[in-house]
Amino acid sequence: MDEISEEDKLDRQLREAAPYLDDNGFTARVLHQLPAPRCTRRSFRGAILLGAALLASALAYVASDGGRFLIVAMARLAALPTLWFFVVVFGSGILVMTAGAVAAIAKASELQS
Amino acid sequence: MELTDADLVARVLVDDDQHAFGELVRRHQSSVRGMLRQLTRTDVALADDLAQETFLRAYKNIRSFRGEARFSTWLYRIAYNCFREDARRRKEFVGIDEEQLQAEQDPQAVDSALRHDLMHALSLLPLHERSAVLLCCQNGLSHDEAARVLDIPLGTVKTNVLRGREKLKRTLAEWGPN
Repeated sequence: MDEISEEDKLDRQLREAAPYLDDNGFTARVLHQLPAPRCTRRSFRGAILLGAALLASALAYVASDGGRFLIVAMARLAALPTLWFFVVVFGSGILVMTAGAVAAIAKASELQS
Repeated sequence: MELTDADLVARVLVDDDQHAFGELVRRHQSSVRGMLRQLTRTDVALADDLAQETFLRAYKNIRSFRGEARFSTWLYRIAYNCFREDARRRKEFVGIDEEQLQAEQDPQAVDSALRHDLMHALSLLPLHERSAVLLCCQNGLSHDEAARVLDIPLGTVKTNVLRGREKLKRTLAEWGPN
């Protein structure tokens, strides 16, 4: 028992004996030596995604005879009975929500690891 | 609300947020520099150079921090590796060895204050005992964490801490109650 308290005493003395070292510009020196942030790479990635989305939209527009498929799809939806229309809207909502939740969970587990 | 180390690490990982990394440096600089000063036997300039190298390596390799250990434990491991590599280099070029350094300690430099006596007694311990005592007794790491930092078996850490403690007690007892 005495031995344990003596060990605790020694540990406490050791902790107290270690002085807190003031920063004195140490952090600034470290930050000064860090490599440049990756923002250029991030914005480049964003530009690629935006470019790909625009190109895909333009191709879809041209390939579908000026977006005619959209007008046809809207007309079909409008012709649906109310109950079926509600089912399609509800199903689409669930689908989008599930995709969002899966993406959020994947990002969270990536951050945790 | 103050952000935890894990929050700050996440910001560095996701946004490459250097301000968040700066906060991590500010939080841990004292303990890392203090440990390195003890390992280098109070060579302040060398210890601070190694501490800078430690934080730079931590930033570059932050993706390898898995969050299984505390961030401070991970930093201590990098700091200890930096010290070991430097000691190896210096040994090759200058021929320093532990016993020689121990013999070169100036007994006149011993301060009468307990704090200085303790730090001096600590600096007299051989490296393997000093690093184990520093991590476990001074920085509050568990034996298991210290074993991971020092990359040695758990039993060896326990033995080194025990022997280090005994030597510290003996040295302090020899210097008397003041």
